[in-house]
Amino acid sequence: MKEPRIVGIGQLAVCHSPEQLSCLGLGSCVAVILYDPQTRVGGMVHVLLPKAPQKVDMEGKYADTGTRKLVKEMTLNGAAKDRIIAKLVGGAQMFKNLNVQFANIGRFNVLEVRKALREFPIRIVAEDVEGDRGRSAFLDSSTGHVTVKKVFSPTRVM
Amino acid sequence: MAEENPGRALEIIKEFANIGAGSAATALGTMLDVDLMNDVTSCNIMPLSQVPEWLGGAEKIVAGTYTQLCGSLKSGILVILPSESAILLLKHLTKEQVDLSNLNELQRSCLKEVGNICLCWYLIAVSKMVDIDMIPAPPDATVDLLGAVLDMPLAALGAKVDTVLAVHTCFKALDKEFEGYFLMLPEDQTLKIILDRMESKR
Repeated sequence: MKEPRIVGIGQLAVCHSPEQLSCLGLGSCVAVILYDPQTRVGGMVHVLLPKAPQKVDMEGKYADTGTRKLVKEMTLNGAAKDRIIAKLVGGAQMFKNLNVQFANIGRFNVLEVRKALREFPIRIVAEDVEGDRGRSAFLDSSTGHVTVKKVFSPTRVM
Repeated sequence: MAEENPGRALEIIKEFANIGAGSAATALGTMLDVDLMNDVTSCNIMPLSQVPEWLGGAEKIVAGTYTQLCGSLKSGILVILPSESAILLLKHLTKEQVDLSNLNELQRSCLKEVGNICLCWYLIAVSKMVDIDMIPAPPDATVDLLGAVLDMPLAALGAKVDTVLAVHTCFKALDKEFEGYFLMLPEDQTLKIILDRMESKR
């Protein structure tokens, strides 16, 4: 099988079955994974921060603009809005005892993504979010399954 | 300045890195009660996006200690120990078997302390050189995927930081070698202040 395409921070990708997408080493970042089971179109965006500023440099970097752009790209690639389902991975708090601003930005990322998805609305069918561990997420667009790998923990398929 | 004269800036950073890492090695050696020699094997100024690759991939397992400076200078500081180095250090300090997946309270605290000492002594040396106080917030440590550890400074400073002063150092002691990485992530304005100060002190 072909190696999964890696979606880096702030990047956004859409693929067709049987291609695979992945986000490696998600800490407070969130991978928003969308899938249309009928046309088997999958998409992933790797967001870093919750809210986009006035002047957006990279739409994929922010939870609100990134989610909206991904939905748009999905529909341009043959997915239908009312069929799309969402899965979320990431949003951890890596340094629990750190007393600085943004210490729990992961949680805000997750909240902002949920809010953006509600606008359409797109249903969230599975989540592996928050906590204090990093994750890697892999999407298999032939089945829509998302594999979540964590360090020192069993792999989860959802 | 980093843009105007990258060669010159790199030279300054190298000096800075050597002294910082040397100071950290001395402190760490005292803590471990061994003679610790260190070599700065490489030193780079790079964009944040290249850091995972430089350190061996986003999925590599590392021990990371992170904090930020308080006060007028704005910078994140991250000490990264590859998992083998972290195990070696913890074994020596606690005289116990170490399983990174299941650290006990003492080992977790040890790890934090090792990171804390490296980080603070690095800062002490650097702040003496530039003659500006650098006070870090209390740090925190974790063992996880490199990419996930790097998310924290990225998110906290991400919008404003793109330059990382990265130092790879190799410590020799206990008949063994282990590696550590110091990453300093200053905001542009802070980087400029540091480089200007270094320049005028020479």
